[in-house]
Amino acid sequence: MTAQTSDILPADLSGLSDAELLKLERKIARKHSGMFPWLMVIWGFGNLAFWLALWPLVFLGIMPLWLGFILSTISLSLVYLPTHDAQHDIIGRPGTKWRWLNELLGHATTWMIITPFNAFRFTHLEHHKHANNPQLDPDYSCSSAGPWSALWSTIRQRQPDGQKEGDYGAALERQGRGDLMLLALAYKLAFFAVLFTLAWTGHALEAFFMWWLPYHISMTYLVFYLSWAPHHPGVQQGRYKDTRSWKSAVGNIGTMGMQFHTVHHLHPYIPLDRTPAAYREMRPILLARGVETGGL
Amino acid sequence: METVIGAILGALVKLLPLIFAFGLLVPVIAQGMDAAGLAAPFGLSSLVFAMIVAGSWGLFATLKGRWI
Repeated sequence: MTAQTSDILPADLSGLSDAELLKLERKIARKHSGMFPWLMVIWGFGNLAFWLALWPLVFLGIMPLWLGFILSTISLSLVYLPTHDAQHDIIGRPGTKWRWLNELLGHATTWMIITPFNAFRFTHLEHHKHANNPQLDPDYSCSSAGPWSALWSTIRQRQPDGQKEGDYGAALERQGRGDLMLLALAYKLAFFAVLFTLAWTGHALEAFFMWWLPYHISMTYLVFYLSWAPHHPGVQQGRYKDTRSWKSAVGNIGTMGMQFHTVHHLHPYIPLDRTPAAYREMRPILLARGVETGGL
Repeated sequence: METVIGAILGALVKLLPLIFAFGLLVPVIAQGMDAAGLAAPFGLSSLVFAMIVAGSWGLFATLKGRWI
């Protein structure tokens, strides 16, 4: 990877103290943040409209079920990331004019993947605070020795006795938001109610291939690339140790931008689409800090 | 009151795999067989066959805490 020239960094960082490096790092982060993330807003609402449109197309026979299944799987895989920016208040911080849009985007879309927006938000912020802590990181249960065991683990965690639900519940309880567990159960029951109604009115295959199976495939994909891969091997804690960068065979789009996840954990207010540029500019500092860059 | 609601919700969660089996898996298997033109063995209807298969699987998941 070629180093990006920076108008902020000096040519030689070797003589700088930790405090000076941190100051430069924050300056770069500020340069790549603060703008309105139009892409994420259009992505979030556009994807919602796209997914909803698939249903009448399939039900009216305009689109074959197999194609609806593929498109629904892609669409559900795309739900999380715009809400992730909203979880970090990137679209609108509390008290600002776009706050309503930040919250609307989150609440209007996470139901597609059967989780209340605030349950995602509170557990994710807990993950940031305690990344790789076996007791306190609600995403720690996805840690695995390798990619195949990680894939299996994501499926295993969604079984009735999976650990993840308990870890999420504990994280919410710690923050005094145990009420969100009840809301999460309500989302799940509503999901089942819709599926069962469709199924027993002659549309079982549509319910299964348009929502249930796409949801599970997308969650496997999301947990693999958003939770497991950027924190693997998951044994170190600390600002420059708990997240890694790596060069993936499926690239930045295939990993949904997670190759640059280090920058997100260091500066979670940078919009997703600005993370690669921030990473490239920040890379000399990351190297000086001993971050695992994986050839990226 | 809260304890009663908690107990009801706990029982509901415990039974969810079985509920899911009859709510979704049974019609998926039955309608899937009908769509594929597959006949159930032993002269059973596709719905009865689906109830036996999905019901057993759901019972397994309820008792064992896992589908696979």
